[in-house]
Amino acid sequence: MSEYVVEMKDIQKSFGSVKAVKNGFFTAKKGEIHSLIGENGAGKSTMMKLLFGMYPIDEGEILINGNNTDKLTPKIAIDHGIGMVHQEFMLVGELTVLENIILGFEPQKGLKIDFDAAKKEVKKYIEQYHMDIQLEKKVNQISVGEAQRVEIIKTLMRGAEIIILDEPTAVLTPQEAQHLFKILMNLKKDHKTIVFISHKLNEVMNISDRISVMRQGQYIDTVEKGNTSPLELTKLMIGREVFLNIDKTYSKAGKTVLEVEDVWIPSQKETSKIRGMSFHVNEGEIVGVAGIDGNGQSELVEAIIGLREVEKGSIKLSGKNIANKKTRAIRKSGLSVIPEDRNTQGLNREMSIADNLAAVEMDRVPYSKGFMIRQEAIVQNAKEKVEAFDIRPDDYNLPTSSLSGGNAQKVVVAREVSMDNKLLIAAQPTRGVDIGAIESIRNSLEKAKKEGTAVLLVSAELEEIISLSDRIIVIHEGKITGEMPADEANENNLGLLMMGGTHE
Amino acid sequence: MNIKASGLKRILFTVVIALVIGAVLILMIGENPIEAYQALFKGAFKGKFGFGNTVATFTPLLLTSIAFAVAAQAGAFNVGVEGEVFLGGIAAAYIGVNFTFLPKPILLITCFLGAMVVAGAWATIPAVLKAYYGVSEVCTTILMNTVAVYITSYLVSGPMSAGTANAQSHSVAVNLPQFMKPSSANVGVFIAIVIVVLVAIMLYKTKFGYKIRVVGTNPAFADCIGINSKKVFINSMILSGAIGGIAGCIEVLGVHGYFLNNFAVGLGSNGMLAALIARSNVVLTPFLAFFLSILKAGAMGMQQSTGVPKALVDTIIAIFIIVATMETLFEFKKKIKRKVKKEKGEAKA
Repeated sequence: MSEYVVEMKDIQKSFGSVKAVKNGFFTAKKGEIHSLIGENGAGKSTMMKLLFGMYPIDEGEILINGNNTDKLTPKIAIDHGIGMVHQEFMLVGELTVLENIILGFEPQKGLKIDFDAAKKEVKKYIEQYHMDIQLEKKVNQISVGEAQRVEIIKTLMRGAEIIILDEPTAVLTPQEAQHLFKILMNLKKDHKTIVFISHKLNEVMNISDRISVMRQGQYIDTVEKGNTSPLELTKLMIGREVFLNIDKTYSKAGKTVLEVEDVWIPSQKETSKIRGMSFHVNEGEIVGVAGIDGNGQSELVEAIIGLREVEKGSIKLSGKNIANKKTRAIRKSGLSVIPEDRNTQGLNREMSIADNLAAVEMDRVPYSKGFMIRQEAIVQNAKEKVEAFDIRPDDYNLPTSSLSGGNAQKVVVAREVSMDNKLLIAAQPTRGVDIGAIESIRNSLEKAKKEGTAVLLVSAELEEIISLSDRIIVIHEGKITGEMPADEANENNLGLLMMGGTHE
Repeated sequence: MNIKASGLKRILFTVVIALVIGAVLILMIGENPIEAYQALFKGAFKGKFGFGNTVATFTPLLLTSIAFAVAAQAGAFNVGVEGEVFLGGIAAAYIGVNFTFLPKPILLITCFLGAMVVAGAWATIPAVLKAYYGVSEVCTTILMNTVAVYITSYLVSGPMSAGTANAQSHSVAVNLPQFMKPSSANVGVFIAIVIVVLVAIMLYKTKFGYKIRVVGTNPAFADCIGINSKKVFINSMILSGAIGGIAGCIEVLGVHGYFLNNFAVGLGSNGMLAALIARSNVVLTPFLAFFLSILKAGAMGMQQSTGVPKALVDTIIAIFIIVATMETLFEFKKKIKRKVKKEKGEAKA
């Protein structure tokens, strides 16, 4: 038998046309805590769901304890001693903790469930690992941290030797996270293997033995904790790309266009995801917002464009407060947006290229007059834009769902940039777009800046931020951790700030 | 254009399958299907009475199907059209009986406006519940249909009762002229056609129609470009309700001359059926509504001249529903598959 309890080699997995995992590789030794890190969408969860048999793999092989397993299902995986704690807990809120733990393999005494035996068994685990769980409470009355411990016990009761935790700390308070780490250490002492999925580097550095990095569906590297640093991990996670050269002009920045002052913004799950952020963007400059995905970028953008409430603080566009105003009003007072999610927010995939290009200004001249829409104007506009922005294919009657990612994004960029607004927000403008389109989109942003537009660029690509921005602000967990001119920025000092470090 | 052509083909296919299965059933009861269908179409088209009946059946169906389609274009599944027909009818009857001090033309218009306002207001309730509280409009509209029927039943049996053996209101003071007597076809059919044309223009040529279509296909996009998706959703439901109200008004003023208890049972669901088969395409929906009207109106003729009972038409319509829903099912399945794929694709690492 090899030294590994789990080996995953040359794994490929596609969902439709999306390649979630391109060349997945993962190994785990008995009794280690192995972290799997990477940005959102890097394929970490998918890899582990493949190991747990939730989806079949397209290519490659999975060996568990040296045995090749070509048809994994969760049941087979459990039989092989694999347990998984999902991001969304799989618990029945109306049942007690004890009932949840034994659900599916209840110890029987005659026809009745033998709760005493069950309790005894569960208590054993609770004491062994200092779990601190109240067995008689209903699951919907316990805290998230406790529910997570229930999930861990569930896997142990089913005989798990390898426990996968999918971003377990995302839902925990720092204290609860500390408690979890203690439990994980105890499990490790008992020779259980732990796979810890995360993108929080400090935690990973804290508890791991080995760390594997994935980026865009690809396996990058596996390192021993002792031989690495958060900085190196950041580099591995974010990676370098072809450096696309844009003629950057340092224009003299003019008046302040966007002024954000001490704003607090909630996210879907928690209040105050963004806590007290202040910055400004001037005419004719690009301000880049750097940060690891999920640190409040999306919430910030949504708040500025009026899709998310602002708890407190002010957002001013050309001196006018736009916090908690309607999107329509904010747009009218001079805002253009390239939204983060091109396919839902940026485009209406069922409508034609022409209709999408005119969408924002549909209720203004020339696209409409009185109640009526003027088709000639929409077509005229489409002809011009399709040519100017090189949108292919050039049949503007096609629905945008038939376009490639790059061309679809060009439609969004063409629409938003041509409105000559004072402020342009570009959120992940080149995500999932081919190199040619990247160049064209970046040139559009640069051109808008030259014409005096204030541009706020939010991107997960450090290289993009550095090469386009005049000024860079770095955010970490909803706060600004640093600000600097772009020519002082490099991947090292930005990376450090992105992890919550302070400016040297 | 392509989409429309394929839609038409699909509908014809559905019609043919339903008729073929119907033919098999006719064979099984020992009759000649060709004769039966001939009698059916004769019944639906021959003479003033036959064709008049078809027209009279067509009028409310056309409106209820368009009412459903308009809501569907904005992403709403309005099962409540039937309730809106009832309430529009009762409002028209109340005005038509009691506001006799108004000159006739104005009274007529007031009846229509009253019907639209009451039915529109009724449709606002599920719309607001859905837009702001996430309550499924399918459930609320189904439940509210029952409530609407009982409200009108109470009114015509109690406060508005004419005191006759049948529960009905007094006669209204203004009528829509009937023009193919002895059938009850009336000028309401022209009103209905005008409304359908206006709705089609509204949907494809106006700003409001554009907004409805954007919200119906992608509400997140609508919000992002500054269209208030909730407001548009509610407005389209109100419009849908108002059109249902007009159907009720035409039935009361043009067919009966008073509000007859339970007069609109089935109008809403048959209209919904027509719209569903046409995928709520407002251009195709009227044809489906017309086809259903032919079946309904021709049934009596078929029963009289052949041994095939009238109820067979209901069977054919039921088969029609099954075939059509199967197709919708296929579509739905495809949609879900696509959705699942997308979600899986987005499954975070």
